[in-house]
Amino acid sequence: MTETSREIAVQARSVGDAAIIYASDYLNKLSGERIERECRRQLESGCRTLIINFRDTELVNSIGVSILVGVIDAAEQNTARLIFSDVNNHTANLFEMLGLTRHVSLATNEEEALSLASEARPRAS
Amino acid sequence: MKQTTILARTAREDFIGRDAELRTITQQGSAAKSRGLLLLAAPGAGASELLRQAYDQLFLQRRFSIPLHFALKRGEASETETARRFFKTLLQQFIAYRRVDPSLCEAPLTLPDLAELSLPADYELIAGLIEGFERSESSGREFVDFCLSLPHRLSVEGRTAYSLIDCLEVPPFGPELIVARELIQAVTRVNGPFAIAGLRRHAGELLHAADHLSRDVSDAIHIDCLSDEDANRLIDIVARHDAIETNQPTRDLIVQQLTGSPFYLSEFLRAARETGTQLTSFLNCQRLYVDELMGGSIKRYFDRIISSVADSPPTKRTLIRVLQESATSETRKSSLWTWKKRLGLAAHEFERVIEALHVYELVNSTAAFIEVNTDSSAWTDYLRAQYQLDVTGEPRAKVVAAMLLGTLKRAPQTMARKYRRESALGLSDLLPQFNCQSIPSVLLHYDRFAAAYKGEEAETIEAGLVAESDLIRLPQVVHSSACSAYLNTTACDPNRCVVAHGFEEAEYTDENEIIWLAAEIDSKLEASRELTEEWCDRLANLAAENRFDRFRIWLIAREGFSAEGSELLKQRGALSSGAQQFHLLLARIESETEASTAKADEYEMIIPMGEDSEFIAARTVEEIARRVSFRPEAINQIKTALVEACINAAEHSLSPDRKIYQRFVVEDDRLVVTVASRGIVPGQLSRQNGQEASMADEKEGAKSRRGWGLKLIKTLMDEVEFERVDDGTQLKMTKYIRK
Repeated sequence: MTETSREIAVQARSVGDAAIIYASDYLNKLSGERIERECRRQLESGCRTLIINFRDTELVNSIGVSILVGVIDAAEQNTARLIFSDVNNHTANLFEMLGLTRHVSLATNEEEALSLASEARPRAS
Repeated sequence: MKQTTILARTAREDFIGRDAELRTITQQGSAAKSRGLLLLAAPGAGASELLRQAYDQLFLQRRFSIPLHFALKRGEASETETARRFFKTLLQQFIAYRRVDPSLCEAPLTLPDLAELSLPADYELIAGLIEGFERSESSGREFVDFCLSLPHRLSVEGRTAYSLIDCLEVPPFGPELIVARELIQAVTRVNGPFAIAGLRRHAGELLHAADHLSRDVSDAIHIDCLSDEDANRLIDIVARHDAIETNQPTRDLIVQQLTGSPFYLSEFLRAARETGTQLTSFLNCQRLYVDELMGGSIKRYFDRIISSVADSPPTKRTLIRVLQESATSETRKSSLWTWKKRLGLAAHEFERVIEALHVYELVNSTAAFIEVNTDSSAWTDYLRAQYQLDVTGEPRAKVVAAMLLGTLKRAPQTMARKYRRESALGLSDLLPQFNCQSIPSVLLHYDRFAAAYKGEEAETIEAGLVAESDLIRLPQVVHSSACSAYLNTTACDPNRCVVAHGFEEAEYTDENEIIWLAAEIDSKLEASRELTEEWCDRLANLAAENRFDRFRIWLIAREGFSAEGSELLKQRGALSSGAQQFHLLLARIESETEASTAKADEYEMIIPMGEDSEFIAARTVEEIARRVSFRPEAINQIKTALVEACINAAEHSLSPDRKIYQRFVVEDDRLVVTVASRGIVPGQLSRQNGQEASMADEKEGAKSRRGWGLKLIKTLMDEVEFERVDDGTQLKMTKYIRK
């Protein structure tokens, strides 16, 4: 398996002012940086909630996690909400162990994530 | 049925204790790819007979090369004479082999006889060789070259020879040495196997001219004296054969006194047969021994060496005096300068004397010091007798009586040394096996062991040790010797008091250097505070005198240590074990060594660094873990740990080959994953063994970006340790199966 053979583009879609970004099967430096770039792009275009969907993610390494920390920072700076969805048990434990869950909400699926996002959205005055 | 002997002087079944060596030599002749073999022998170790036995085996096996045996002789100084004998001996052996007639090997045959006896297929070759021999006989140098080229000439005609050259009798200097070198050079240049036997301290001189040899020699066999058991068997067999009565105590005494030397033993038993001496009592044994020292073959053996270097009676007398006075001095060691001055010889003569004494292992000579070798009782007894006879001029009868009385008085001590050696726990064997193993620390703290396990059943102790979480990592011992080798003034049993140099942790650094000073204490009961203190002081003094900076004392007492003794050990920071702990430790180390050499369920994998290759490794370990019924959560933990280990290897090592070496070993209750890479060792990495992972303590928490790998691994796996490797790092991670 080579870097070039692996999935190049990060899949993402927008639902209202939320963006759902799909992580690949292995969250490492390369795929992590792609997610980070997409997240920053979404934030710059006015996205208020970032949902990273881990449904395809089998494995996350510590470099991948450290990049997610960068995404957490970026979201905080932009006062945006960050939600991880479809995280398998092992990865959830890993995030817990590394303290990520103190800064990120976990949702079992996209629906729950979107629901969390709407709860958090500031009401129009 | 007894096998025929051809050149051997002992029947094969009576040739004791050299089976492995014999196999190596005969297999050398059958392995087409291998070339040369060196037999490095201690004096009197029986290497000549070993070579003859090998010849017989090769002759009878008739499988590959044609064996040709030649023994250089002492006193055969003429190059021409040696070359002539070489040619004729080898040609005769060649014809004997081809005719499958061993009796021809040593028959009195002329060259025309040999031509007549050659097989029709060989006749032209043999006739041509004999003609060439006769033609060049008067031509000096050319004749020598022709004779020595016989193995080569046979080889080019398609008859590959296996040359077995015995150089044991070649003296350390003189014309014989020059001839031997030429012969070795001729034999080793032939495209066929060869074996050369020589005294181990003489090999360098013998092979001096054969500078091409290093690339051809595939192996070296060290031939030492026989083990006690083999020497006992040898005496038993020879004594039965010669109708000499012996018993176990006398056999033991003879073995100890003659240090298991096949030469001394054979000569001693020959003397018993010739004089009709029954070796049934210590008195009979020592009478015969003293006779051998005063006028028998043991005396002749040493006389010959002394006479070869000290030809005039005054020089001989001076040499005996210097040797005896050095042997009985406190250190047995003097400077080279002192020896030279006392012997009063010219520089060249002096060098010859010392070289000869060193080669025959009568002294140990270095660039600065000479030490008389006192390991051999026969040598020191000979020296004492000769000193009394030739230097102090004692009457012979008085010397004989003194020798007999002395050896009889010494016999119980000689036996006691043997018993003590045999009853020793085996520190000198155990310490060299220390290789960074992790063992329950309770095995090195007697008080804790006694409190937890004293009086418990073996199964309970074993189960308890398996469950112990307080582990201690042993050093890697790289050199160990008896304490007595460090301190002449401390009387220590070599098998019971050992100095072991090594390294803690997985790196060869100054900080990791450590010296273990281990001693087995004699005590019928638990060792008292006084005895414990005496040994702690003794070993601490040894450390001080040798300027050992970092050292650790480990005392072993069969019955352990009293409460006061244990308290003192604690104060001194010393380790302690009883015999039971020692045996448990030994068993663990040996089983680990066996396990590491024979693992049935083992997978190996090499992946390139980078390009997500760790993901492939993770998938592989997942498949292996699934097969041995790990739960899914555990499988994920193993995968993540492996990925982290691979990332660590790739990021920190500056690996020259950019590869990660992985081994997955499935054991009954666990999976052991080893990840190794070449390159540099990150400073902080190898010092992390045994440290607890502390993810929770992470102050920065999620906000600290990197450096989680090793902590993650320690959290996810049950046991994690860096193993010592010469280059790079090797991380061993263990996960237990919990069903």
